[in-house]
Amino acid sequence: MKNLLRITRIEMMESLRSPIWHRRVLVNIFLVLTFLYLAGNLLVLGVFLDDIFVKIPVDGIDYKTYGTSFVLRKLDRFLLYYFFIDLILRYFMQKLPAMAIQPYLHLPLRRSTLVHFMLVKTIWSPFNLLQFLIFIPFFFEVFENLSFGQALGWTSGFTLMVFVINYGLLYLKRTSDVDTRVYLGMLAVLALLIVSDWYDWVDFQHISALLFNGLFLHPWTALVPALLLVGAYLMNYQYIRKNMYLSRLSKTKRSEVSYVGSGVLSYFGLVGRLTELEFKFIWRNKRPKSVLMITVLFLAYGLLVFPNPQYDGNYYMYILFSIIITGMFMMNYGQYLLGWEGSHFDHILARNVSFRDYYMSKFLLFAIVSAAAMILGIPYVYFGWEILAVVFCVFLFNLGVNSHIVMFFGSMNPKKIDLSQGTVFNWQGVGAAQFLLVIPVMGFPVGIYALGALIYGPVGGYIFLGILGILGLAGTRFWIGLLASWLKRQRYEIADDFRNQ
Amino acid sequence: MEVISTQLKKNYGAYTALDVDQCSIPSGESFGLVGNNGAGKTTWFRCLLDLIEPDQGQVTIDGKPTKDTDAWKSFTGSYLDEQFLVGHLLPEEYFDFVASIHGISESDLKQKLDGFETLFNGEILGGKKLIRDLSKGNQKKVGIAAALLFDPKVLVLDEPFANLDPSTQIRLKELLKRLKEDRGVTMLISSHDLNHVTEVCERIVLLEKGKLVQDIRTSKETLKDLENYFAGIATKGVETTTEGPTSSDA
Repeated sequence: MKNLLRITRIEMMESLRSPIWHRRVLVNIFLVLTFLYLAGNLLVLGVFLDDIFVKIPVDGIDYKTYGTSFVLRKLDRFLLYYFFIDLILRYFMQKLPAMAIQPYLHLPLRRSTLVHFMLVKTIWSPFNLLQFLIFIPFFFEVFENLSFGQALGWTSGFTLMVFVINYGLLYLKRTSDVDTRVYLGMLAVLALLIVSDWYDWVDFQHISALLFNGLFLHPWTALVPALLLVGAYLMNYQYIRKNMYLSRLSKTKRSEVSYVGSGVLSYFGLVGRLTELEFKFIWRNKRPKSVLMITVLFLAYGLLVFPNPQYDGNYYMYILFSIIITGMFMMNYGQYLLGWEGSHFDHILARNVSFRDYYMSKFLLFAIVSAAAMILGIPYVYFGWEILAVVFCVFLFNLGVNSHIVMFFGSMNPKKIDLSQGTVFNWQGVGAAQFLLVIPVMGFPVGIYALGALIYGPVGGYIFLGILGILGLAGTRFWIGLLASWLKRQRYEIADDFRNQ
Repeated sequence: MEVISTQLKKNYGAYTALDVDQCSIPSGESFGLVGNNGAGKTTWFRCLLDLIEPDQGQVTIDGKPTKDTDAWKSFTGSYLDEQFLVGHLLPEEYFDFVASIHGISESDLKQKLDGFETLFNGEILGGKKLIRDLSKGNQKKVGIAAALLFDPKVLVLDEPFANLDPSTQIRLKELLKRLKEDRGVTMLISSHDLNHVTEVCERIVLLEKGKLVQDIRTSKETLKDLENYFAGIATKGVETTTEGPTSSDA
């Protein structure tokens, strides 16, 4: 026990001495504010959660039949989905805390101490704690409306379930390789669940209600998640105990990769070859790959706005969301344009490729991903031709104007990116340029739209954006020439920075 | 291809990393650069390859300054450190890419790579490891091979023998000697290893704290002389302890 505390103390020192604190104060203040804002949002959502569920209509569940428990009964119908989505998100984002014990393995500590340390540490993961920002306010409501025993049954059952998911996921991730196919498969299963629920093939909501209503109807059933938790914990414990050797636990798997020769892109000559290399780069490194995965998720971002009657005819929202749909990748990936290649920047300087071709290949990359997003976004036509017209005009604007702006910001004062780290809660490489980027990329088009809309109405507004995009596209060679000569002037400084980082 | 370095000077703050008046390397010469850590070897090569900007002076290859021009890159092969490698590629993919930049056909590339068979010792090609997962020594082999892929007329290598196993060191020496004799490649090689560098290079330049202190034709006595020189520094001690702040040579 004493040793456990000692290790914990050392681990806490690690986070206190993390390089995060050596960054510029302004950036940290901004990050803290962003975090507080997000946390505040979750809290507010939590406070109003019961009001929201009061309003959601569910057949046969109302105050008359069930009294004070009717809100909870509605919520329970969706909890199965909630935990499943939680599992999918975690599978994609939550990290295994394996590396942290390596420095202790050679010390005379009991193995079980180390394993418990590793497992207990995961409780503090934001994936566990953030959801309580929503649910703790709700817990108060539960205690107000139900008898103490019932409320205790439900709240402790819910809390236990969160950690069952936590340890269940960790076990899953430990025993099997993280695989994009599994992730996509889970998404497909989720879609299948929703569809079969929608068409009343299987009533998952009913099953969910049955399971979770039990927690307050018969509070002793909270023992079931408790047993599950113990089981999941022990499974993890056993597995780690058995595999506690450096080579097994350090998950820096030497990825086995097959040779991929030149493909379709070589049609574009050298520029195409460069773009192709960049696609390999994205696919073979964790962080850029997750940027791409997130881009896929954000394709559906428009669903929040286009069908929403609250935003009906609100073109400002349409435009902002359209920027994300086709521009998510270029913004997210492009903000570290040079930083991604920080570890082989000397190669870029020494090889016989002009900076012009270099930037052209980046542009081609943006164009390909953007166009793919545009094509996948065509189903938005379901919400009307005009929506598609907006998405398309903004796509042109993204391609012709935003891509160049992003490339410029991504080349400014770049930081080398550590490629082995995942993308979630990873602030490495974030600097002032990344925050400033939002102003031109999101603010400028909105301004243009406002101007056009003032003169010709909404249609004129987004057509303005489209025209500007085409003009920008026509000037691509010129913009890229500017970027190339800029990089030529800055190259020594950038290369020097990368070598010293 | 003649390489000429004129009035080259590079400071980091008050610390002088490199300060060499004049040094020309005639076409076809094999030129060795020796010196302790912080002597300025890598700094010199980086200036030469236009990777850092000298405060003063310039380097020309074939009469043209390397700064701000690109033509020299098509006949200059170089490998200084892992920064020259693209870590997320397989060695084959990297060679493919370098070859395509230099307009080498696939069949020529294959023939070239076959020529490196002995150097690679079966550890580079056909594996499924990305370059970043290779050992230091194997990374070096990839870098050197890529630098030689397009029959360069000028070759710049920083510490080519470090991290290599003894057999590979011997093979590399043979390879370099052949390049000089058969093709008249101008070679610039830096090394800590006095044995190897005196064996490969016909001329040795000795740097100390950024200054050129000796410039000698290699003869039977050279190795002994150099050993005595560095032994002298080792016993004197004082001078070598002043390391540069940023110009790590290692």
